[in-house]
Amino acid sequence: MNKSYQAPADLGRIQYSAVGLGLLGLIGWIVGLLVSGHAREMFFHTYLVAYVFWVSVALGCLGWLMIQYLGGASWGLLIRRILESGASTLLPMAVLFVPVIVGIGDIYHWANPAGIESEEIRALVEKKTAWLNPSFFTARAVFYFVVLVLLATVLRRLSHRLDREGDPSVIQTAQNWSGPGFLLYGLVCTFASIDWVMSLEPEWFSSMFGLLSIAGSGVSSMALIISVSVVLAGREPMSGVIRPKHFHDLGKLLMALVCVWAYFSFSQLLIIWSGNLPEEIPWYIERFKGPWRYLGVALILLHFLLPFFLLLSRDLKKNARRLVLVAWLVIAMRFVDLFWVIVPSFDLDHHQVAKFSTWAIYIAATIGIGGVWLGWFFWQLRSHSLLPSNDPQIEEVLHAGGHGH
Amino acid sequence: MAEATKNKGYVDPRPPVIGPGYDFNSLTNKIADIVFMRHFQKGWLFGLAVAFLGALMLFNTIGYLVLKGVGIWGNSVPVGWAFDIINFVWWIGIGHAGTLISAVLLLLRQSWRNSINRFAEAMTLFAVACAGLFPALHTGRPWVDYWLFPYPNTMGMWPNFRSPLMWDVFAVSTYATVSALFWYIGLIPDLATMRDSAKEKWQRMIFGMLAMGWRGDARHWHRYESAYLLLAGLSTPLVLSVHSIVSFDFAVGIIPGWHTTVFPPYFVAGAIYAGFAMVLTIGIPVRKFYHLEDLITMRHIRNMSKVMLATGLIVGYGYLMELFISWYSGNTYEMFMMKNRMFGPYGYMYWLLILCNIIVPQVLWIKKYRENLKIVFLVSMFINVGMWLERFVIIVMSLNRDFLPSSWRMYKPTVFDFSMFFGTIGFFLTLMFLFIRFVPMIPIFEMKALLPQSKVEEKREEAVEGSLPGGVAPQFGD
Repeated sequence: MNKSYQAPADLGRIQYSAVGLGLLGLIGWIVGLLVSGHAREMFFHTYLVAYVFWVSVALGCLGWLMIQYLGGASWGLLIRRILESGASTLLPMAVLFVPVIVGIGDIYHWANPAGIESEEIRALVEKKTAWLNPSFFTARAVFYFVVLVLLATVLRRLSHRLDREGDPSVIQTAQNWSGPGFLLYGLVCTFASIDWVMSLEPEWFSSMFGLLSIAGSGVSSMALIISVSVVLAGREPMSGVIRPKHFHDLGKLLMALVCVWAYFSFSQLLIIWSGNLPEEIPWYIERFKGPWRYLGVALILLHFLLPFFLLLSRDLKKNARRLVLVAWLVIAMRFVDLFWVIVPSFDLDHHQVAKFSTWAIYIAATIGIGGVWLGWFFWQLRSHSLLPSNDPQIEEVLHAGGHGH
Repeated sequence: MAEATKNKGYVDPRPPVIGPGYDFNSLTNKIADIVFMRHFQKGWLFGLAVAFLGALMLFNTIGYLVLKGVGIWGNSVPVGWAFDIINFVWWIGIGHAGTLISAVLLLLRQSWRNSINRFAEAMTLFAVACAGLFPALHTGRPWVDYWLFPYPNTMGMWPNFRSPLMWDVFAVSTYATVSALFWYIGLIPDLATMRDSAKEKWQRMIFGMLAMGWRGDARHWHRYESAYLLLAGLSTPLVLSVHSIVSFDFAVGIIPGWHTTVFPPYFVAGAIYAGFAMVLTIGIPVRKFYHLEDLITMRHIRNMSKVMLATGLIVGYGYLMELFISWYSGNTYEMFMMKNRMFGPYGYMYWLLILCNIIVPQVLWIKKYRENLKIVFLVSMFINVGMWLERFVIIVMSLNRDFLPSSWRMYKPTVFDFSMFFGTIGFFLTLMFLFIRFVPMIPIFEMKALLPQSKVEEKREEAVEGSLPGGVAPQFGD
């Protein structure tokens, strides 16, 4: 009965491979930057994409962590430790935000309004300097991370207290934190996405942007959760605990999130396209041109249609090996989506964008930061029991469906 | 392990969804007796009479409207859309709780939906009927409303498929059709139960015809289950699509205050918010009047309050985004719109809206208040009003100060605007009164599935298959 749910030994191997791959990415990134000829500019651009990609996974984990406390469903219990480990990466991610602050001038046009060529846009941006200025931007980022790290830490501590003391009233405390916490989280994610990504084109705005980013991080984190669950399900002690039924649930959540993302994206596009206003439409016109258009089509096909139709199948959702392939596809498409949203803002000329070598630097940067992220994530995951075995609902989860042990 | 922790002050957050002490027979009788009652209770008769007076007011207004034309309303340029669209959106929104409860909660396997779903679905149908009246009459010539549909004709007429108003025609008619089917199919097993327990021949005949030959055959149940699940799958996207398209009616235009990208999810959340408020507004009195406390338990009320709180916060998020982006956009017209909305001639409406939709519902954070029926009822009344105000704020206030100051004009609703609006409320309540008296308002067979007795088979199977150390999953009613 008191079976221990210590992480399997070879999780360490996976962790080291992830870090090793990250190191390779890092080397590739540095080489790419040196070769590219404008290393400083390129560094900050690639860094932002890589950073936003991984921070969005971490944010998604924190969001799911609070949702599973609020919803109280059994799938939440099985992935709680994965979510806690994912959310704990917000601490290193807070430190990794420093380069973005250092590079404000290189990344964001609004940091130096005088340098904007178009007179109209300059006038518009100058109106917004009350919000868009380096010191307030930094102060807000500090505030965001204080809130996020606080939430992640409190929930994690509570969960470990449950492990140690077995006092189930901790669950109630965690729920009490999760309600208002999620509210705050929604606001922080929204304004962070406006600050870090939307303001790359300071003249452009969309009130959907925050929700769209939250949906995006929900997708990428769910895909990560599925991938890690598949790894765990194949090994003791979790084999036999995570069962096809649970993959079915996780697959449904992934499908729901993919649909929500598509719904938000399409709504934003339709409203801006129909309005066709000069202050909104240029954002899309830029992204419908040149090489960007192919990425846009790829997003429709591979970020929505293909995963949607695949995930309709119940057999696929219950089959861990196939489900994980869809999860990887979706993770890859999350990168493409962020690339498509962020990189056109950097005023690169089309020849440079079309070159694979340019893309490769972005990919290498994302793999590099991924090494750090995954290293921390697996370290946290390995250091604690994989199941909150004192949770009052644990019996229900372990035995549901008449599965004895 | 669970045994050890069970008594340490941990309360299962999911108490039974049905009161104790029922068996299959007493449950059937409890629900069916409301329909088979010989007399009409005074309270019911009085309520129906008041509601029907309202419905008569509606019919009179419609008669006069068709005779004289839409000029009897207060709509006048620049406010070309007013009560007609406000009420349309308000009613459509109210319908959404029914679909969410029946379809989405079914797919999420939330068993607490079982007692409130039919009642909420009926509400959806009646609300959609009320909603449909407004655009149908606003065309001015309701006898040619069929021109809205794309059909080959000699007049060279073809609807404009780029117009969201056109999408509305399809979205709302699909919604009405699917909701009606869903409601009726869910009723069939119960209509058969009614047929079998009716005492009079004419009752048996009517319920017999409506039950379409249902015999409770295993094959019937098998087909029923798949049909119901399929319809639930079909209805789920409708929860999102109908109100998203309603929001497109505004958002694809370029009027400041209408044109903002957050509209679709914000409208959908608002619709669910309003819908749950209406379910509680009607459910709380009905539960008391018919002594249904065992079937619509406090857990139902609590869960619905939580859904209201959550969707209300999403609506609040929408207000915040509108406010922030109107400033962040740097667009003169957007900024003016927001200033006008907050401090213009109708400014008090905006602050009332904030009070009703954002401030008052925050009491639902507190568990004690979520369990207090009076407070929950009062909060849902505030939300009903608040959601109407929201549409007024968005629709009328964005129009009445348009781009040319020379055309600014205040909007004043006429007596016919009000008689039509309150008339639909009467009409809606009339239908609700008839429904709760003549149709089993709580699904009998779905409630039976929640009884501990129906778990017996399941328990035996488990015991045979597994080596469970006495740890059978908690039973409802244990």
